[in-house]
Amino acid sequence: MIGTGEMVVLLALPFAACVVFIGVHAYLGIHVLRRQIIFADLALAQLSALGATVAFALGHPPTSLAGFAYTFGFTALGAVLLAMSRSLARRVGQEAFIGILYVVATALTVIVVDRLPQGAEHVKAMLVGSILTVEAADLEKFAVLYGALGGFLWLARRPIVALSETGAPAGGRAMVWDFLFYLSFGLAVTSSVAAAGVLLVFCFLIIPAVIGSLFAGRIAPQLAIGWVVGAVASALGLLGAFELDLPTGAALVVAFALALVFAGLVKYLAWGDAAERRAHRRRAARAVAGCAAALLLASSLWLMAAPEADQPLLDALEAVTGIGPMPFLSDGERTAFVDAVRDEQRYRAEVERLNRLEQASRYQGPALGADEVRRLASYMQSFNEMQRGERFVQATLRARARLRARWYVGVPLAILVLAAGALLLGVPGILLPRARTRLYSSG
Amino acid sequence: MRRAAALAGALWLVAAWPAAAELRVLASTTDLKSLVEAVGGGDVMVDSLVPAGADAEAFEPKLSDLARLRAATLIVRVGLGYDAWVDRLIRQAGDTRFFRGGAADVDASVGIPLLEVVGRGLEAQQSGHAHGAANPHYWLDPANADTITAMIAAGIGRVAPALAARVAANRLRFLTALAARTRDWQTRLAPYEGAAVIAYHSSWPYFARRFRLNIVGVIEPKPGIAPSPAHLARLVAAARDVRPRAVLHEPFEPVETARLVATRTGAPLVVLAPSVGSVSGTGDYIALLEHNVAALARALASAE
Repeated sequence: MIGTGEMVVLLALPFAACVVFIGVHAYLGIHVLRRQIIFADLALAQLSALGATVAFALGHPPTSLAGFAYTFGFTALGAVLLAMSRSLARRVGQEAFIGILYVVATALTVIVVDRLPQGAEHVKAMLVGSILTVEAADLEKFAVLYGALGGFLWLARRPIVALSETGAPAGGRAMVWDFLFYLSFGLAVTSSVAAAGVLLVFCFLIIPAVIGSLFAGRIAPQLAIGWVVGAVASALGLLGAFELDLPTGAALVVAFALALVFAGLVKYLAWGDAAERRAHRRRAARAVAGCAAALLLASSLWLMAAPEADQPLLDALEAVTGIGPMPFLSDGERTAFVDAVRDEQRYRAEVERLNRLEQASRYQGPALGADEVRRLASYMQSFNEMQRGERFVQATLRARARLRARWYVGVPLAILVLAAGALLLGVPGILLPRARTRLYSSG
Repeated sequence: MRRAAALAGALWLVAAWPAAAELRVLASTTDLKSLVEAVGGGDVMVDSLVPAGADAEAFEPKLSDLARLRAATLIVRVGLGYDAWVDRLIRQAGDTRFFRGGAADVDASVGIPLLEVVGRGLEAQQSGHAHGAANPHYWLDPANADTITAMIAAGIGRVAPALAARVAANRLRFLTALAARTRDWQTRLAPYEGAAVIAYHSSWPYFARRFRLNIVGVIEPKPGIAPSPAHLARLVAAARDVRPRAVLHEPFEPVETARLVATRTGAPLVVLAPSVGSVSGTGDYIALLEHNVAALARALASAE
């Protein structure tokens, strides 16, 4: 198989790019959270995408000076509009305005893209990006750009923080600082969206900032926590994509989401003073027990109501234990089921063998004639049909087993869940702590 | 006497009608359009639904396409789930002439020796793969032009019997010229028989069969879903043993991943045209194959 060396070589640059992006995005995200303009990044990214698309439609490649000028021009326009939106916010929520900006920019992009031959691919690339293919030269560019942005944001921290904290002071000065903030924001997301895609950039921006604000109130510790968590989540996401054979961008998004869930659990169960922690843990245990009971009860009722429909819990149980529908089949049916599974595999192997044969004949030995290829294709077609037949047999036997399991499994499971629930409700302090308090207060 | 003359005139008009009024054919792709032109000559007016250079598998018909369909006499499609959106368009138009098996419908895949058969179209579509019953890129083997043009000629014969003889003559002329060119292409690629290549998308099995290439890997096995890093690592690791000599890339595919694989395997990146008009200089079917053979021969020669 593939060695660790190969993995490190492939994932080192994407990881470095993630870290560079998170460096600036986590800080911008903290401001975005404080200003409550969560979707400003999407609006700005979409406007810059519109700029890039317009440039592309006019014949300028994205990397050319003209291409950059168009992208920057549209982003600056977005920064002006967002800076102006603050004065609007008094009457209507700023988010409404940002949302409108986003959908209009997206619609315009779609219209421009429709005129381009490679439009669909272009839109998809904007959404998903391709962080896996970041090159060393790209990384250098990112490091310079985000270094400069970081420097600017550090120097301008006082006015920008003041604006984020206090809301809407009047005056042209505030508007200028707002504009500069949105412009640097726009520059940051323009480059990162081109490399990582809209989904991932949204994660870089929001999730580290949210996790930071769970555990700290001031900006500096929030940022430190966001950086560390972001880097760890990026590493885990990339490793997960590699180990589990997943698309990189989507795996990273899921890793960031899991990091958020984990941070939320830590905050709730293991943070704060001891009494609070205990209370939280008890409540969490109750919630988990309640959810599990509800799930089991719903499952048992669903099994009794519609045994032949999808039964996710039972399916999972059968798959994990490897039992399958066997307990509810007669001896003859069991043999038929085992045969069907085996034959399906055999036919699949046969199709694969014929495919390999055809592939090898493309360049080795005498070339196959059209009729020989047709014959191969018809064999493959037949084996595919036979596979389908075996799958049908399996599905029928499964359904038959479910019909029998309907009462044998459904009724005892429901009774068990109800009994356990009644028992727990009856014992004070486990599910209903208030009952105990009431006892004490009355006594 | 006058009445007889009028009758004769009317008969003449009826006989001359199909030839005088151009037959409007709507092809789903530019490749089929080019083949219809080759067969129909000056008697047909052909238009393609997918514009040149666009990805037919990601195409979404517009309102204007519905109007074009309504104005057409014959529709020619790739089939095999490749242009499944044609079916939706036809349903929307509600014109029974174009329904499957109808007189005005030509599915060019009928009779093609198919590769990579996976089953009936319906189930293959459920797996989320744009390829239906088999790999649909069959026009990239020039030998299949025989079958495709036969289906087109039969279709034209059904809707305009008067054209049948001229169409048959056109077709024979075209196939003779194509056969000569195919021999030339095979000679030019003969030195590289069995050369290992990596493709971005599985568009090239028919081409590989005709020109004796060994496709050792596909960068994006599921169209539209970015390959996982593990898949890329496997591809690069496997390349160490088989030493691929070219990475085949189509203009509308994202170039970053193909470039990454090319750099890691040391094989040059070759831009091949999957369809007529997707690369400049591929104005018709023969030019398309000429471009692909020339580009590939250049790359394989440089990689020696």
